[in-house]
Amino acid sequence: MKKIEILRINSLNRAPLIVEGYLFEGSNPDAPTVAVVGAMEGKTILPLYTASKLVDFLKNSMSDSQNILGNILVIPSINHYALNINERFWPLDKTNLNTMFPGYAEGETTQRIAKRLFDAISGYTHGIILENREDLSTCFPYVRLFQSGYEDIENSKKFGYKIVHHKELRPTDTVSLQYNWQLWGTKAYSIMCPNETQIDMNGSHEVLEGIISFLSKNKIIKYKVLNGYESTVITKEDIEIVKTPKSGIFIPTKQIGSHVIKDETIGKIIHAIEGEVIHKIVAPSNGVIACHYKNGLIFENAVSFRIIKSG
Amino acid sequence: MQITEIFSSQLPVGETLSIKRNRYEPTQKQENLKRISIVSGTHGDELEGQYVIYLLSSWLNKNQSHINGIIDLYPAVNALGIDSITRGFPLYEVDLNRAFPGGKEEYLPGQIVYALAQDVKGSDIAIDIHSSNIFLREIPQIRINKEFSAFTLPHAKELNCDFIWIHDAVTVLEATFSHTLNEMGTKTLVVEMGVGMRLTKEYGVQLLNGILNLMKKEGIIVTDEEFEAREPFLSEVGEVFYLNAPTSGLFVPELSHCAIISKDEKIGTIVNPLDGAILETIYAPSGGILFTLREYPIVYEGSLLVRIFGNNDEKN
Repeated sequence: MKKIEILRINSLNRAPLIVEGYLFEGSNPDAPTVAVVGAMEGKTILPLYTASKLVDFLKNSMSDSQNILGNILVIPSINHYALNINERFWPLDKTNLNTMFPGYAEGETTQRIAKRLFDAISGYTHGIILENREDLSTCFPYVRLFQSGYEDIENSKKFGYKIVHHKELRPTDTVSLQYNWQLWGTKAYSIMCPNETQIDMNGSHEVLEGIISFLSKNKIIKYKVLNGYESTVITKEDIEIVKTPKSGIFIPTKQIGSHVIKDETIGKIIHAIEGEVIHKIVAPSNGVIACHYKNGLIFENAVSFRIIKSG
Repeated sequence: MQITEIFSSQLPVGETLSIKRNRYEPTQKQENLKRISIVSGTHGDELEGQYVIYLLSSWLNKNQSHINGIIDLYPAVNALGIDSITRGFPLYEVDLNRAFPGGKEEYLPGQIVYALAQDVKGSDIAIDIHSSNIFLREIPQIRINKEFSAFTLPHAKELNCDFIWIHDAVTVLEATFSHTLNEMGTKTLVVEMGVGMRLTKEYGVQLLNGILNLMKKEGIIVTDEEFEAREPFLSEVGEVFYLNAPTSGLFVPELSHCAIISKDEKIGTIVNPLDGAILETIYAPSGGILFTLREYPIVYEGSLLVRIFGNNDEKN
C-alpha cells in the first residue's frame, strides 16, 4: 500500500489541507481497477467511516496481497476543513465540491480541488462515490445512477444493495463527479449512505460489504463474499412520495426497510406547542420504506417518507 | 398597490413563512396591459435589490397616475435566508437559483421557486436583481445568456447599467430563474451590482433610473420625466480577464473598485499578518476597467480577486 498526496491547499490560519489517497497496487496488470471517493462534504460521517474501514480492510484483512488483483485507490476524505467544523460545504465560500466537476485548474478554490481530484482518479475502470442524500432524509444504502447514457446498470447490481435508483438527469447533475467520471470513461456509481450523525453499525457494514462484494465480483480482489440482495432497478414511477400536510414534530413509527401495507400508520405529526397529534401519516400503497425525513421538526408539505411500491 | 401572498407555509413552531408580491396597476381597469416583474432576495445575503425595490415602490406610490401597466414586485424570495444572513435556503442549504423550475411535489425550496416561476409567468419582462455575494463588489451590470440575447439585449441597454456581459449557455444554469422564465417566454434580465450584505445607495438610484427608463420605453409608465440611460460597454467588444489568488492569505487591495488601470499596474498584495511577509504582489494582466474587486479579504488559492474588462489584444 502506498499513501499518495492527491492535493494540497494552504490556508492563512489553518493547517494545510492535505488530501491523501491509499493506493493498493494489484498483482494482475490486466485486472480492472477502481477508485473510491469518500467524504466530499462535511456532515458525511458514514461515507468517511466506510472509506476508512475499506482502507483498514484492504490493509489488514486481505491475508495475501496477491489477492488484490487490480489497482485500488481509496480517498477517504476530501473536505477535512468542513468535516472538522461540522460545515456541509467548503467553509469559506460554502460551495459544494460535488458541483465543481470536472474542475478547472485556473478557477476558484473548489474548482481547483475538483480538478486535482479528478486528475488523480481518472482512468480507472470503475469509480465509487460515497454520498449522502442532499435533502434532509435518511435511507437504506442504495446505488444512484443517473440516466446519462453512460451508466452500467447491470454492474451496479453487484453491490448487492436492495435497489438501484436509475434517476433522471437534472441540469445541476452535469457538474457532479458521477456524471463527469462517466463522461470520461469510468463506470461510476454513487452509493447513497444512511444520513446519520452517529455511526450506525448495521448501515455501515451493509455499505462496506456491498463495496467488497462489488470488488470481488468484478475480479478486482480475490475474496469470498456472501451474496447480497438481487437488486431491483427502480425509477421515479416506482417511488411513492408521502408528504405531510402539517408542520410540527415528526415521529416516524415505521423504520426504514419496513414493509408496509396501504393505509397503515407509518408516522405522526405532533403540534409543536400543544403536544397533540395533529396528523397521522399513512402509507398510500403497499411497499418498502426506503427513506424518511431525518429531523425532529418538519415543514408543511415536506416529504416525510419515500416508499418503493410493491404488489 | 395590492400585496398578495404568492406562497405560504406553516413552519413547525408558531410561524408562517410567506413570500409576498406587491402589484401596481392603473386605477382604471384596462385590457392588454404590459407586465413587468422585479425580483430580488433569491440569495439571502444579497440586499441591493431590496433597496432598488423600495425606491421603485416609493416612486410608484407618488406617481400612481403615471402607471399604465402591471408592475409586480417580489423583494424577498428567500425570506428566511434574508433574515438569517443565509445565502441558500436555511436548513436545506440549497441555492434557490439552482432549484428552478421546482415543483409542487418537491421539498420546500422547490415549492417556493415553483410558486415564484408560476406567478411571474406571463410577464413581458422580468428583472432579477442580485448583489454578487459577500466576497466581491461589482459595478452595475447585466448578465445575459447568449441563447436569449437576441431579444433580451435591447432591454438590457435601457437599464442604465455600466456593463452588459453576454455569456455562453451552460447546462447547469438551466436551473436558474432567468433561464426558466426566458424559456417560458418572459424576457428576463439578471442584474449584478454592489456587494452582499450591504447597500450601495448610488447603485440603487442608478438602477432605479434604468428600470423607470425601460418601463417608460415599454409604455408601462407614462410620464414626461426623463430618465438617464447611460451607454453600457458590451462584453463582446473586449475581453474579461479573471485574476485568481495564486496563494492563500490576506488580500490587501491598492486600487479602488471601478478604477481604470494599465497593464502590469499593481492591484494589491497577499500578506501574512503573523510574520509580516508579503506572500504575493498582484499585477494587472491587462489594462481596462476593474469591474469586479474582492471585498472579503481572506483568500485561498483560487479565490477570485478581480475581473478586468480590457482589450482583446491585451490578453496575456
